[in-house]
Amino acid sequence: MSDQITFPDVVQLAVPFFIAAILAELLWIRVSGKGGRYETRDAITSLLMGAGNVTAGIALGFIAWGFFMYLWGLTPLDLGTAWWVILLCFVLDDLRYYWVHRFGHRIRWVWASHVNHHSSQHYNLTTALRQTWTYTFTFMMVVRAPLILLGFHPALVLFCGGLNLIYQFWIHTETIGRMPKWVEAVMNTPSHHRVHHGRNARYLDANYAGVFIVWDKMFGTFVPELDKEKPDYGLVHNLGTFNPIRVAFHEWVGIWHDVTQPGLSLRDRLMYCVAPPGWSHDGSRETSDQIKTRHLAAHPEQRGTPGF
Amino acid sequence: MPLTVLIALVVLGIAGVALLIHTTGLSQPCRFTTEAEARAAWTREFPLTDVTGVTLCRSGRAALIATPNGPGVVWPMGADSTARKLTNARVTPRDGGLTLHLSDYAAPTVRLYLDPDETALWAERIGTT
Repeated sequence: MSDQITFPDVVQLAVPFFIAAILAELLWIRVSGKGGRYETRDAITSLLMGAGNVTAGIALGFIAWGFFMYLWGLTPLDLGTAWWVILLCFVLDDLRYYWVHRFGHRIRWVWASHVNHHSSQHYNLTTALRQTWTYTFTFMMVVRAPLILLGFHPALVLFCGGLNLIYQFWIHTETIGRMPKWVEAVMNTPSHHRVHHGRNARYLDANYAGVFIVWDKMFGTFVPELDKEKPDYGLVHNLGTFNPIRVAFHEWVGIWHDVTQPGLSLRDRLMYCVAPPGWSHDGSRETSDQIKTRHLAAHPEQRGTPGF
Repeated sequence: MPLTVLIALVVLGIAGVALLIHTTGLSQPCRFTTEAEARAAWTREFPLTDVTGVTLCRSGRAALIATPNGPGVVWPMGADSTARKLTNARVTPRDGGLTLHLSDYAAPTVRLYLDPDETALWAERIGTT
């Protein structure tokens, strides 16, 4: 069984490309006067979140790597590194991404990590780099276990995950309207992902795809971007700070406050960790489902339209 | 990629992008020019809360929102805005206005830029909430 396979850290190698693309997008917006917005503190926060994500990966990556190598030691399967194995791994890892991402929006424990990616009210290439510092603590590395046990080497799986992340960088932009029809039909695109970042009732909990939008179409979570309803970016309740530490940890702190409040049952405390974001024991907050229901009560004519 | 090269790239990249954004005039905070704008910004955050009054400060950098359940504040977050209800808020004076201390990890303080006569009025309206 091959233990010594190595692949390049493509995310680190892509850093110069990220910087160059951000500069190009910024200059395009300033010259053309269209295609998105930038603001200094928002962009700095996003970039610092990206730097922190890389740092967290270096500091804590050994945990996931140790887990994956443990699984690799258990499995009798070894698919090797032929080109078709890499391609298959990329596709299956994208399916893995879809579910992790969906869990990230539907399970508050995972949302606590992912929320910072949605915390900007802007949508530009710096937003793509506004990544989590706390992914390790979600334990979502277990979702990759089937890939390892099927015989995909951990280094290959992480390589494909890096390519997936790089793909998703370019779709965080308003400078691109829509791609050719066949691309929009199969791939995740700026249009599809703008929907995902929308806080509009219509766009909540939609388009979880990483690379292939077909997963959303298969699992019933696809919502197209409507020309008549521009996405309103950010969180349902937007942050009041640009401090990266508060951005990174605010939802974890929120969970702690909710779980430790007096007078709750054990079930309530557990639900504050694993129920969808917005769940509360006294109904004082709204989940995305409740927001959609309330919206439809006020706009019944929209029932049956995309997202409802 | 060697770690030193990566660190240099990240530091210079962030600094360069930040400098370019700032020098192209994109650091100006949002201003509310009308009470309607401030009300809309509040409603964007709290669509279920009735608004009974809006007090827009002269600088346009915040608005006090009156609701049946007590006051709230809406203020710029960069080019955009956010809002909070002033439950358990603490108010302290400072040069050029007030500072609100909220019991919210994601919005710990709000600096309000107010004229002297506004400062007294806002402090009174916010009170000890």
